[in-house]
Parts: sequence; C-alpha cells; structure tokens
Amino acid sequence: MTRFHPFAHPFARAALLAFAAFCGFLLVGAISPGTWLLDTLTGLFAAGLLVMSLHLLIGYTGLISFGHAAYYASGGYIFGMVLQTPAFVAACGPWSVPLATLLAFCGTGLFALVVGSICARLSEIYFAFLTLAFQMLFVSIIQGLVHYTGGDQGLMGGIPRPAFLGLDLVQVRDRYAFSAFLFVAGVLAVRLITLSSFGASLRMVRDNERRAAFLGVNTYLVKVLAFTAAGSIASLGGVVLAVFTSAAYPEWASWSVSGEAIFMIMLGGLHSFWGPLVGVVAMRIINDLTLLYTTHTEMAKGLAILFVVLVLKRGILDWLADWRKARHAAPSVKEQDHAAP
Amino acid sequence: MLDLDALLNCFSATSCLVTQTSTGIIIGMLLFLVASGVTLIFGVLHVVNFAHGAFYMIGAYTAWSAYTATGSYYLAVLAGALSAAVIGIVFERLAISRVYKENLLMQLLVCYAFVLVADDAVKMIWGAEYLAMGIPAEFRVPPYRFAGGVVPPFYVFLVATSLAVAIACLLLIRYSRFGKIVRAAAQNASMVSVLGIRVPVYFAALFGLGCALAGMAGALAAPVRSMTPGMGLSILIDSFIVTVIGGMGSIPGALLAAILLGVTRSFGSLGFPLFVDGVMFIMMVAILVFRPQGLLGERAPR
Amino acid sequence: MLRLEHLVKRFGGLTATDDVSLNFPAGSLSAIIGPNGAGKTTLFNQITGHLVPTSGRIRLENEDITGLKPAAIVRKGIGRAFQIASIFPSMTVREALAAAVTAHRRATFSLGSAFPRRDIADRTDELLGLLGMEDVAERISGQISHGDQKLLDVGLALALEPKVLLLDEPAAGMGPEERWQMMATVQRLWKSANMTLIFIEHDIELVFRTAEVIHVLRYGAVLASGTPDEIRGHPDVIEAYLGRETVEETA
Repeated sequence: MTRFHPFAHPFARAALLAFAAFCGFLLVGAISPGTWLLDTLTGLFAAGLLVMSLHLLIGYTGLISFGHAAYYASGGYIFGMVLQTPAFVAACGPWSVPLATLLAFCGTGLFALVVGSICARLSEIYFAFLTLAFQMLFVSIIQGLVHYTGGDQGLMGGIPRPAFLGLDLVQVRDRYAFSAFLFVAGVLAVRLITLSSFGASLRMVRDNERRAAFLGVNTYLVKVLAFTAAGSIASLGGVVLAVFTSAAYPEWASWSVSGEAIFMIMLGGLHSFWGPLVGVVAMRIINDLTLLYTTHTEMAKGLAILFVVLVLKRGILDWLADWRKARHAAPSVKEQDHAAP
Repeated sequence: MLDLDALLNCFSATSCLVTQTSTGIIIGMLLFLVASGVTLIFGVLHVVNFAHGAFYMIGAYTAWSAYTATGSYYLAVLAGALSAAVIGIVFERLAISRVYKENLLMQLLVCYAFVLVADDAVKMIWGAEYLAMGIPAEFRVPPYRFAGGVVPPFYVFLVATSLAVAIACLLLIRYSRFGKIVRAAAQNASMVSVLGIRVPVYFAALFGLGCALAGMAGALAAPVRSMTPGMGLSILIDSFIVTVIGGMGSIPGALLAAILLGVTRSFGSLGFPLFVDGVMFIMMVAILVFRPQGLLGERAPR
Repeated sequence: MLRLEHLVKRFGGLTATDDVSLNFPAGSLSAIIGPNGAGKTTLFNQITGHLVPTSGRIRLENEDITGLKPAAIVRKGIGRAFQIASIFPSMTVREALAAAVTAHRRATFSLGSAFPRRDIADRTDELLGLLGMEDVAERISGQISHGDQKLLDVGLALALEPKVLLLDEPAAGMGPEERWQMMATVQRLWKSANMTLIFIEHDIELVFRTAEVIHVLRYGAVLASGTPDEIRGHPDVIEAYLGRETVEETA
C-alpha cells in the first residue's frame, strides 16, 4: 500500500488547489489599492458559480437546462428575505449570515429537487422547455407576491448583514473575502462531484443513457440529483450577488441570464472543466469592449454568439486542445473527440 | 390576490360571460396561430424554433409601420406576415440550416442570439417604449351585441382570419405537392434530393411559412395588445404550453389547447390574476405526467 | 441455467417466435444460427425483457423471469452485448469499464472518493487483462478500432458478472483476421468466468469452431439442435442453407 501522497490523490489535489486559490484571492484583496478590482472579481465570482453549476448539467450530464437562472435568483431572494425578517436576525445574532446562506442553499436545493423530479423524465427538447417554463413561473411568482418580494422593484430597503467571524460585510474587503470563499467552495464542490464515482455516472448518462440503464444505473435518479446539486450551488452565486447589491432582483432569473450562462459555457469550452470560467472572463471582456463602441450590447452579443456557434463551432479551451493535438498529430489523423476530465 | 367573487359574478351575468369568452377566444386564436407555426416547423424540420416569439414581434411592429404609412390594415397584416416570412427565410438559410444536424445546445444558442439581435433591432428602429396601434379605421364600427354582451367586430375578423389561414396551411401541408415533398424530405432528405428536388429550398420555404404564421399573429394582435421589444418571450412560452397540451405535431390539438388556454387566461385575469401563469403551468405539467402525447398528439416525448 | 419453454411471439399476423423450447445448461457455450429473419434477435430481446412473449416461459435457474422489466433481468444476472457496439464514446476504455463495475458495485451515487475507487480500479485491471485490452486502456473509447469497440461492449456486459451472457453477433463488421481473434477471446472469457454464454452469429465456420452446442432457427422455430458435427451433417440444416453463401456482415 503506497504512502498517502497528497498530489497522487485527486480529491486532496483539488482541495489543495482550492485552498491555494482562496489564499491568492485573499492576497489580492489585501493588496489591491482601489475597489474596482475587488468589485469586478465579486461579479465574476457570482457569474462563475452560475456557470460552473450549470456546467455540471450541460457539460457532464448532457442536460440542457434553459432555466438555470431561477436557482441563482432564488439563492439571492431567500438570503435577502430571511435576513430582512427581524425575528430571524434577533434569534441568530452573529450567525445570521452563515445561517441565511445555508437556508438559501437548502431552500433552493429543495426547489431544484421538485423541478428536477418533474423534468428529468422528459426528452431533451421538452426538458429544456420545461426548465425555462419553471423559471418564468418563478419570475411571475416573485412579481406577484409584491408584499414579500418587492415585485418588479426587487427586495428593497437593503439587506441587514450582522457581522460574523470578524467580518463586516458592509466593508468592501470583507464582502469580497466572503464572496471569494463562497466561490472557491462552490467550484470545489463541482470539482469533487465530477471526480467522484457519481461524476462517472453523470458521464455515462451523457454519453449513452440507454446503455447506462442496461448496466443497472437509475438514470432518472442520477439526473434528478445532478439537477438538485447544480441548483444548490447556483444559489451561492445568488447569495454573492445579494451581498454585493444588498438587494435581490427578478432580472436575475431572466431568460437572458440563463441564455448567456449557456453561451459562456460554450464560449469557454464545453469539453473541459475550466471552460466555463474562461467563458465568464471572455464574456466580461466582450461586454466591456462593446460598451466602449456602442450602446447596442444585446445585438453585439447576439452577433458574437452567432459567430462562435456557426463559424468557430467550439469554445476557446476546446480550440486550444485541438490546436495542441494537431501539433502532435500522428500521420493518420482522425476527427478528435474530447473527454471532459 | 384571489377574487373569486368577481369570477362567480361574471358566470352569472351573460354580458360578462360573452365579453370574457370572446376575449378568451381571440387570445386563443392568436396563440393558435403562433403555436401552429411552432408545430409546423417542429413536425417537419424537427427543430424547435425558440426564436418564434421574435417573429411575432416583427410581424406586430411591421404591421404598425405599414398601417401608419398606408392607412390600410389589410395591407398591414399582409406586411406583417410577409416581413416575418422573409426574415425567417434569411435566418433559416444563414443560421438554422447549419445546425440541423447539431445538438440542441447549438440550436438553442442560435435562436437565443437571433432574439437578442431582433429585440435590439426593434428597439433601434421603433424605440423602447410601448407602442399601441388601436383598433384600425376599417373596424371602427358599432360593436355587435350578443346576449347582452359586447363583441367588437375586429374580434370576428381576427378569429375568421386566423382560422382561415391555419386551415389553409393544414390543407397545404396535407394535400398539396409542396406539402407532400416537404413531409417526404423530413423523413428522408437524401432520397428526395436524389429525385432532383432542391430540398434546402423547400425547408427554407417551410420555415418561412411557420414564421409567417407568427408574424400574422403579431399583426392581428397589434390592435388589441400593446407592443414592446421583448414581447416575444411570453407568447413563446404560451405557444409552447399550447403545443405541449395539444400535442406536438397536431394542429387540431393546438386549436383545442389554445382556446382552452385563452379562455383560462381571460377568466383567470378576473378571478386569480396572480395565478394565471401558475394554473397554466399546472395544466401543462399534468399533461406531461398523465398524457405526455398531449390531448390529440401522436407520439409521446420520450 | 436458462430454459425457454414453448416461447411464442406474435406481431399481429406475423409469428416471429414459433414454439421455441431450448435449454442452456450452466457453463455451456451455445450458438444460435439461422437465416436472416429467423427470429434470433427477437429471441434475445425476449430473454432480456425488451419484448414480452405472447406465451411461454423463460426460466433462469428455475426462476420464472418471463415479462420482467429489462433492468430487473439485468439484476438477475443476464448480460448482453449488442450488434452495434453501445459504448461511452468520451470515456477512456479503462474509465468505461470502471464505470460499469461501479454500477455493479452499487457505487453509482458515491461521492466519497475519487473515481475509480480502489477496489473498483483493481477489478477493472482484472477485466482489462481478461479482455486483453491493456494496450488500449488509456485510449478514448470513441477512437479505438471497431473490433476493439465490440470487445469493449462485451467487457461492459462482463463487468456486471452475469450468470448468462448473450452476445449479439460479436464478430459483426470485422475483417477475417479480427473475427477469429474475437472468437478466441470469447472462448477465453467463457472459460475463465465460468458462465453460460450464448451467441448469435452468421459466420458458420466461426460457429462450428467455437460453440459446444448449436441451435438452428428457421422461420422462428427450432430446426435442429446439436453439436457442430451433428449439425454439419443434418439434412434439414443443409437444405435450409443449400446454395446460400455465408454473407460477410457489414456493421
């Protein structure tokens, strides 16, 4: 039996990388002079959680969910509404924020579980459509229950954030550190899932659901659990946004947020683990660049998507992988297929 | 939140019944037209046109401009349908046809991109504020009175036109040479093209036809609904719900489901305005669970 | 081990399986042959639960498994490899086999350790050795040769440690050299795993050299059963095949 060597064991490797990343983020937080970088990173953390959780569904399970933003927004709303309840803050005191985060996570998980149970039985097209429909239902409920959610205006009056563990979330650096923590935790969770046996099951379902079923895998349950996990992790992104804006808005659950998330995954590279995060950064660059030249960001975005889908046909990291393989190509080169690691 | 009294009162007053039912029927007919387009495109090309709502929007705005320019509503309706058809064909040739063989993800992204472009283009040309056409001059005549209720003549025109157009399309697909070729090509494109038929042309034409239906629906809706960029989304969802409940691929099913939904919306906005969406959802989920092929559909979505 | 009793399957007016009664003793290596349309795959489909027989019984170790759902029949210990290899294209050969073993060991939902788990990895190595696929273990399944993909398909079924393994045309689509290698592997697997193996094949020479027992089907009914020598000289079988070339199957 070999000695336990941290770098040999994938789980330990992932955890170490996560820890190193977190320390790196904290370092950036400490030395950064102004707030622009920290605020930008916080925004990227939120988007990163949204796309990485969706990647679990699209990249690893082969489930195209068109309504993922609903769970993103749900996280923000539960977090905000819970903390806006005076009784809760009074009861939990300094533990309010962590508990509110936990409630957002679990509450959204329950929501995703219900939707997933209904949708997972359906074929591709119906699945995509139904997830979109549930997202719209979520939005109409938010808009309808004006008394609780602020309706169209979003949660108003700010979200109380009692200090905890020495962190005062009103301060930029503390808020940034909290967001960095949630981000690293969320991405680590996705990584551990993909590395585990459950992750292999996801890939089996993606590649050949029929054969997986013949091997005795309960593919329905696999899909439901993947959907639930993805929704729960997306909620952390909503919490980051809620802390950042001290509010929650129904726009966070709009179909353009969902559509853009799907595009970011494709842009970065569908077939690699880190693809979506590359896509988030790339999308941010595209957005900022187009804003410099025109106010018609939606049209620019649409054209960019058409370009990537119709002309490039694959994302950045996929393109990079193909280029590297082509350089080391054997004489008989066949069309390469990619494995998501 | 819940105003069941208003609802019950309405059931007991025929005037209210007539008004609400006629409103429900026109909502239903508009949904039916849009859903027919979706079902047509899906049934033949096996592509779900998630951009369908954008063509509804294009039809509405073009009709508004045409009416403002020419003063003829009939021309406006034609313009709406035609512009949607032309843009649809261009979209099909440039984008959709390239992702027929690809997976759903690519098709979704292409449609999403088109919606972004279309919404922004509409915003640029017509502005972002709500636009209203109002009842056109041709229909500013005294309303019909029916059992104490009021039925605007425009409603009758809308229903008649929608039914006529939809039936015409159904007959076209079932019995005409065009329809037969298109259906054959959907089953086996390579075989059909070997017979010397330019399959891509037929596919483009069919896609254009589906979009024309949405565009016409938009033009017909313009007098009774206000327009805004992004109006396509809710009609898209509603038309999908109709297609699911009626059965993917069944035009009679779409009609039945559309009327059902239209009437639900109409009476629902009276009695449970906040839950109308919810009720429609529950109906759709119930169908998906208990009768996945829809009320009149042919094959189950599994 | 596996017994078919008066199996009948009708599709409307067509009788695909006509009163078939066959016995497959434990540990036997049997082949089912017959002209196209004889109902061989239909028979397999009834055994694995994808078709429900019109009448008749199927018994596994004396337990009646007629009409059970496919998943239940897999759990009872009947494995199947397919005519067109049904594999997981994006996974490496090792990963695919490990995933199948993971499913068998009921670790489908395990989040506790990295994939593959220690014991599952060991069993995967065993399987790779059995199949003779060590040299392609790290290759991506979608990119290996057609013959290797068929072998992997068998390997996936084997990972479930079935009592009975059904192979649907294991040599289909393979060149002359590859077919013999495949059948040699099939024989080796059968001996080492000590299971009951039944295969469908069109290549008569292959069948005669490999199988212990041959069952000949024609028009859905059993024409003859026996050892290769018995079948070779059987007048009815000769008549059924008279003038027919054995057709090389293309995948």
